[in-house]
Amino acid sequence: MSSRKRPSNPQSASQPRRQTGGSAAQEEDDDVAFTQPSTSQVQRGLEKVTEAQVDQKSAEVVQYFLLKDQKKVPVRRADLVKHVVKEHRNIYPEIIKRAARTLDQVFGLKLVEIDPKNHMYILVNNLETSGDASPTTRPTDPKRGLLFVILSVIFMKGGVVRENVVWNTLKKLRVDPGEKHDEFGDVKKVVTDEFVRQRYLEFQRIPHTEPVEHEFRWGQRAEAEVSKAKILEFMGQLHDRDPQSWTQQYKEAHSSQNSSQQAGGSSQR
Amino acid sequence: MKRARGGGDDEAPRQNGSAARRKGDPPHSDGVDAGSDFGPADLQDADNDPGLRREIRSKYRDLISSVQQNREDMLSPSNNRLTEVLEEANKLFKDVRQAREAALDAQLLVVATDLGKEKATQLFSEGTAFDPSAFAEHLLSVMGINRLEDEEDEQQNGGAVDGYLPQDAWHRVARRAECCFRTAPSFHYMFGSFHAEPPPPKQRTERQRKAPSKDAKRIMPTQLKKMDESHQEATEKEVERILGYLKSYYQDDPTSPISYYEFVIDPNSFSRTVENIFHTSFLIRDGLARLYLDNAKLPCIAPVEEGEVEAGVSCSRKQCILSISPKTWKELIDALDIKDTMIQPLNTQNE
Repeated sequence: MSSRKRPSNPQSASQPRRQTGGSAAQEEDDDVAFTQPSTSQVQRGLEKVTEAQVDQKSAEVVQYFLLKDQKKVPVRRADLVKHVVKEHRNIYPEIIKRAARTLDQVFGLKLVEIDPKNHMYILVNNLETSGDASPTTRPTDPKRGLLFVILSVIFMKGGVVRENVVWNTLKKLRVDPGEKHDEFGDVKKVVTDEFVRQRYLEFQRIPHTEPVEHEFRWGQRAEAEVSKAKILEFMGQLHDRDPQSWTQQYKEAHSSQNSSQQAGGSSQR
Repeated sequence: MKRARGGGDDEAPRQNGSAARRKGDPPHSDGVDAGSDFGPADLQDADNDPGLRREIRSKYRDLISSVQQNREDMLSPSNNRLTEVLEEANKLFKDVRQAREAALDAQLLVVATDLGKEKATQLFSEGTAFDPSAFAEHLLSVMGINRLEDEEDEQQNGGAVDGYLPQDAWHRVARRAECCFRTAPSFHYMFGSFHAEPPPPKQRTERQRKAPSKDAKRIMPTQLKKMDESHQEATEKEVERILGYLKSYYQDDPTSPISYYEFVIDPNSFSRTVENIFHTSFLIRDGLARLYLDNAKLPCIAPVEEGEVEAGVSCSRKQCILSISPKTWKELIDALDIKDTMIQPLNTQNE
């Protein structure tokens, strides 16, 4: 099912992006102003600036990415050009190339363009996590657990679930979307706003429903960042079952697994 | 996919199709029965029993809400309720005549189709089906739920499963889930960052807003002051002007007394008379002129000489109130035979 559903996904997914993005119209306006310069234009542009200037700009871009990543909201190319690259926009491809190299070689982060149409970038950890029993002592973010539960349910239910399924599951875990939670505060807002802005989730209205209903999908960041195979493995452990017994999910996990690990992120799909 | 969907979904359109066909028939036959008079109007009358209409609509609403409320139960593969609902709706549809009922029927169809689709998706999941509630149960153990209290709770809450979750429940899930994420560790300054831009622009806008308001405030008082000053000045000037007249008359003939009434009254204007009295009273108050009664007990006015001003302060001062009405004004003009004003009005002078 999922393999057939996939082609229709980007189309339907572009709709909520327009709604939830809010500034989608502005995004497009900004992008009209900035057209990717051609290779020859970049070549000519590079002749006019010194090597140090290009390095300086790409260092600024790296810093911009690192700071913007604190909130995990994707970086728009239009913003990047407007706030950092500025007058050097004619050599933008060279700058972003060098920035990506620095992020990769120095920080071990991969710069991924999650939305080739609206030109959005995120950073993904390039390093393998050190086994499942990670000895890390750094504090965990409980929201991560919440997100994990939702992503798991969506994935295991075939890629799309009605909001009710998510809310009911959370209720069983003592998280009521209608009530203020000790740890998450306004759960509904965290799930449908924060996670959506971070592009972990897509939350869109199901057409023609009365009363209004929504459904959840994986967002672009989740596709790039979260390993379906690992989720399935975890599911196997939980249910004390062979992950392969979920045939569909297993197929899905191992086809997307390839694309996300070899080609590097869902930008390739 | 299509095959599977057909299994779960087909009955809805098929049944509704037949219902639609049935819908076409009854009104037609009704029309024939009541065909003698106006067709449509009469037809409506025949179907217009409000009680029956209401009953049909309420039954439809009940059906819709029952589907919406029992949605989760109806989703389970063994549940046959969807078929029952559709059959019930088919029965109801026999009596549907009006648009409102048809709309409700359509709404029910939407709900039912939606449910059918959901049921069909369950059939797609080859292999093991995924049950979110089982998942949640397993997760609760990961979270370290304390089920020891369950037995008591079950007795108290009538079977509702309620355990005690430890403080770090969600941290535990997060830690277990960590391996599935390749999230970039976020970068933070050790001592936080400096305050970002926002404050300065705010100040700027405030200043801009404040500046015009100050101007506006400044304009208001100056306007008022000017009015006050000009008013006071006008009075003062008028008082001085009258003093000038008084002095010149006195100098013309210091021996003959100047009758107060003759001095003050303007035979052409009562209001100017009042004004003159008002302004003259300032002269009296300031000690620049004095009033006294002549032999005929008529009031006379005379300016006070420069030297006498100080002496005048020592002598006893009296106050009196003078009243004048248009009637007394006319009587005075007649009695004193006043032909002309002694104080020329300002306007005429200007002219």
